Amino acid sequence: MLRARDISKRFGRTLALDRVDFDAAPGEIHALVGENGAGKTTLMNIIAGRLRPDSGEVSLDGAALRSGSAAGALGAGIAAVNQSPMLFERFTWEENLALGGFGTAAFDLPAVAVQSRALADKLGFTLPPAGSTIERRSVAERVRLEVLRALSFNPRVLILDEPTGVLAPAELAPFLGLLSGLRAEGRIIVLITHKLGEALAVADRITVLRQGRVVARTTPAQTSEAALARLMIGEIAPEPTAPAPPMGIGETALSIENLSLDRDGHRALDGVSLVLRHGEIAGVAGVDGNGQTELVELLAGARSAQSGRVIVADASAASPLGAIAVIPENRDLDGLVLDMTIWENLLLAGAIRDRLAPRGWLRRGGAIEYCRVLLERFHIRAPGPDALASALSGGNRQRLEVARAVASAPRVIVAHNICRGLDLAGTADVHRVLAEFAAAGGAVLLVSSDLDELLELSARLFVMSRGRMRETGQGDRDPSRLGMLMAGNWE
Amino acid sequence: MLSSVGKSIAALILACAIIAAVVLALGASPVGVFAALYEGAFGSWYAAADTLVKATPLVFTGLAVSIAFSGALWNIGADGQLIAGAIAAGAIGPYLGGWPRPVALGLMLAAGAAGGAMWGGICGWLRARRDTNEVISTIMMNFVAAQVLSWVVHGPLIEASGAYPQSMPIAPSARMYMPIEPTRLNPAIVLAIVLAIGCYLLLFHTSYGFELRAMGRNRRAAAFFGIPIARLTIGILALSGALAGIGGAVQVCAITHRLYEKFSPGWGFEAIAVALVARLNPLGIIASAIFFGALDNGSQAMQRAQGVSPVLVQVIQGLVIMILLAFDTSAWTRIRAELFARGADSAARGDTGARAGA
Amino acid sequence: MLDAFLNSAIAMATPILLAALGELLVEETGVINIGIEGAMLCGAFFAMVAAYFTGSTLAGVAAGIAAGVAINAMLAFLVVNLSVSQVVAGTALDILAVGITGVFYRKFFGITGMAFMVKPMARLEFGPLTRIPILGAAIFHHNPFVYLAFAVVPLIGYSLWRTRYGLILRAAGERPEAADALGLGVYRLRWHALLASGVLTGLAGAYLTLAYANTFVENISGGRGYVALAVVILGRWNPWGIAAASLLFGAAMALQFGLQALGTAVPYQLFLALPYALTLVVLAGFGGQAASPSALGEPYRRA
Repeated sequence: MLRARDISKRFGRTLALDRVDFDAAPGEIHALVGENGAGKTTLMNIIAGRLRPDSGEVSLDGAALRSGSAAGALGAGIAAVNQSPMLFERFTWEENLALGGFGTAAFDLPAVAVQSRALADKLGFTLPPAGSTIERRSVAERVRLEVLRALSFNPRVLILDEPTGVLAPAELAPFLGLLSGLRAEGRIIVLITHKLGEALAVADRITVLRQGRVVARTTPAQTSEAALARLMIGEIAPEPTAPAPPMGIGETALSIENLSLDRDGHRALDGVSLVLRHGEIAGVAGVDGNGQTELVELLAGARSAQSGRVIVADASAASPLGAIAVIPENRDLDGLVLDMTIWENLLLAGAIRDRLAPRGWLRRGGAIEYCRVLLERFHIRAPGPDALASALSGGNRQRLEVARAVASAPRVIVAHNICRGLDLAGTADVHRVLAEFAAAGGAVLLVSSDLDELLELSARLFVMSRGRMRETGQGDRDPSRLGMLMAGNWE
Repeated sequence: MLSSVGKSIAALILACAIIAAVVLALGASPVGVFAALYEGAFGSWYAAADTLVKATPLVFTGLAVSIAFSGALWNIGADGQLIAGAIAAGAIGPYLGGWPRPVALGLMLAAGAAGGAMWGGICGWLRARRDTNEVISTIMMNFVAAQVLSWVVHGPLIEASGAYPQSMPIAPSARMYMPIEPTRLNPAIVLAIVLAIGCYLLLFHTSYGFELRAMGRNRRAAAFFGIPIARLTIGILALSGALAGIGGAVQVCAITHRLYEKFSPGWGFEAIAVALVARLNPLGIIASAIFFGALDNGSQAMQRAQGVSPVLVQVIQGLVIMILLAFDTSAWTRIRAELFARGADSAARGDTGARAGA
Repeated sequence: MLDAFLNSAIAMATPILLAALGELLVEETGVINIGIEGAMLCGAFFAMVAAYFTGSTLAGVAAGIAAGVAINAMLAFLVVNLSVSQVVAGTALDILAVGITGVFYRKFFGITGMAFMVKPMARLEFGPLTRIPILGAAIFHHNPFVYLAFAVVPLIGYSLWRTRYGLILRAAGERPEAADALGLGVYRLRWHALLASGVLTGLAGAYLTLAYANTFVENISGGRGYVALAVVILGRWNPWGIAAASLLFGAAMALQFGLQALGTAVPYQLFLALPYALTLVVLAGFGGQAASPSALGEPYRRA
């Protein structure tokens, strides 16, 4: 029996978990659901010993675990699989697994490989070629390797954090089947997810977290997707934004012609072409890691192509990509300088910098005032323009980035996984801003691995797989059909 | 907790406390040492003027270090860049006899800036185009500069008699006035202050300065938004070198009037302490440089009075840097939480025993 | 002639090699130790002090090691436990080392210009092996430090790539968050590496005063610590590559004396500058950081 009692955790001013009680029994799949930011990952990290709670304790079969000790948790039989795989990129997969349960004091990689193969066969996984490093492996392969490593510890408790996020729709059913198999072995499975359909399909019990508190404990028989959704957000879900009617589709705003890009010896983008016109929102669907990041970086100007062209309406020689504003996926790493003030972060956008610092001289007073106006206009909750960007919550950081993108008066906005980590209210806000931008004549390229978001917002849809891009037809907006396309089955 | 300035002052006080302990271990009197340092630095008008003179090169190298560090470019080569600037100035100095003083001085400073800029720019280029760690390259350039200096004062630039390893004296028109005889005080300190103000404006009131600071705090985001990282790297290290180089030229114009070996007693390294105490703010550099200049000035008096080697000031420099680093880290909140939680853990364990049994 | 040059090259490579091997350990866990120069200087000084006052070379070696470990421990506390900037902390220790050695030199030995000598360390005898033409005198005529240094090369290679402990050390430098999530203990591993490196760097310093110069002079380390940093890069973070690069620099340093003895018209400063300029040139050509441990130099704080 896994028991977490009275767990609280605070990060700075945010209370991530507030006296949470959670337990899970052997032979059960217990789903932990909640919105992004509800505290699920934090709870997992505490149970797995990676994070020390401010109060409370975790115990397994009555024996209390030492808080903040990952080694202790692993020793007790608790293994966790992260949302984004935490493997050692430059090590071979055998070395990665040797750091799991198959590794012994005697350093014997072949033995590790043998044991790994046996386990992989049992699970129906295929392993990468012998001796290959993690660097080139796809995201889905990495998830599988990490699950394998976790299982190599023969854990009593297996915690999985949003494991299906990077799986193509076709791989979903086998994965859930795998979990059922593990349950049958008497293990405790904790499945963290925000996908209610999955939770209802496979879980025995469901615990709902909202803003760091447990708001409900239930079973699939006693609830429904709608009820869970209401519990998750605490109120009626806001109306999904209707796809903005393609009013006044105008001239071509962005034209990508046959773009190819090599990276680390493999072809990341392979002859990508698309045309985007003013007034439309086009979506790019695909499982993460199929070239989307490279495409976005290229459009931002942070990477150059081997061949092909990108033409933006009214670009100049001075700024060939000038009229594109990009909102990167990694908001804290690529989008913001957290150690700088909010108004200084606005200056990262070249167009804004040119406006506030004509001829290179920066007028601080004007810039701060400009920031203040922007914060108000976009409803960004912040202590003030002078506060550090790190003082903003995740949702507000995202709003800031969107605000900055719109304010730099671009022709095209490229948004990559823009609502990842945002709660429903924040997501609705961001979607609305993008829709308004398009309605006013701008063009939006929405790159996302979230099909719901794409289907809701985009008039046209492209699919990326292994660096290639293809526009979908009218009949392709069905999720299972899209799933096939995303997995690379393009006939 | 403490404000920026507060932290610097607290760091200095803590360093003094540790130094007092070290001095006791050496068998000397801490009070005596501090008294002698103060006396040597500010005890008389001449001493105070000389403190400013000793502070001057620290302003130039301190600015060089702050600018580079603000861009997360670790320029440990301010010494070499200063020497390169001094060599350039010392080479043309003897030939500026016919020129009016302002022009001659201008040329000297320009030469210094050029020499230093080249010295720093090379390392910038190596970093930008060859991914060469600038810490190592700037340090290596220090050693190379020292050897070039040694060569020119023994060889091509050697003074007329050929007996002493020093260069020819620069022309009188290339020298700076020393208006307040017999002190060595000269207008260079004014130039230093002007440059400090200039650097401040550059750093905080221009787009270039913004790009520099953004690159320093988050290189990835800066690159993502199209800030030209490679060009900035070369430019900043060249600018940094130029500042140090002007410092070298100034030393030649104002104080030494010629070149000799061991031209820099480690100003480039001391500049790191100066820059950190000033929190990398060019305006703060002025006060910080005066403080460390005072230490340098007082150290001779300390040696005479207390028999402690003048390199004690380097112990102070090293300590101050480490203490400031320790003050600035946000690790303390985590360490406090850990210590606190460990106590809570053992208390809870006593609890758990009862509960588990239940 | 040639054998004297080769002998000299190997001898001069030794302190660089020792320090670089220590630095390899440290860098594999993700830390870059700029303070290596200061550790070497302190190792040199305290080795000399101990040997001079006790008359025992062994005491000197022990003191040298202790000094190296002490300096590295200070760095470890700063960059591991407090996660401060590794470059700045290392530089601070370099400055501190100059100060400490200068102040205590003055305390122990006063201000006379006299050099305080210690008994030179005896070279090992290998009998008939030494009489092999050229190579014999080059290889089989050194003090124990030299053989120790080269013996450590395969030892480090084996430890890092053929043992479990080596794997987890490298994991700490590859991706510290992942290593901690697996309970490997990144902080602990980095401390181990820095302490072990302190031993090796202290030995390198002790070599300088006990076997090479037999006295202590200001700045006796002469940038060798920094050269060791470059050697790690040039050697591609591989012990054998590091050994080769160390020999290259040893040869450059030996060249100084050889060519001076030849009495050419080229100024001697060129030869003194040679190792440093060579470092730059080779780094420019081959000094990319692509082969470095992924998390090298980044401050890491566990959650």
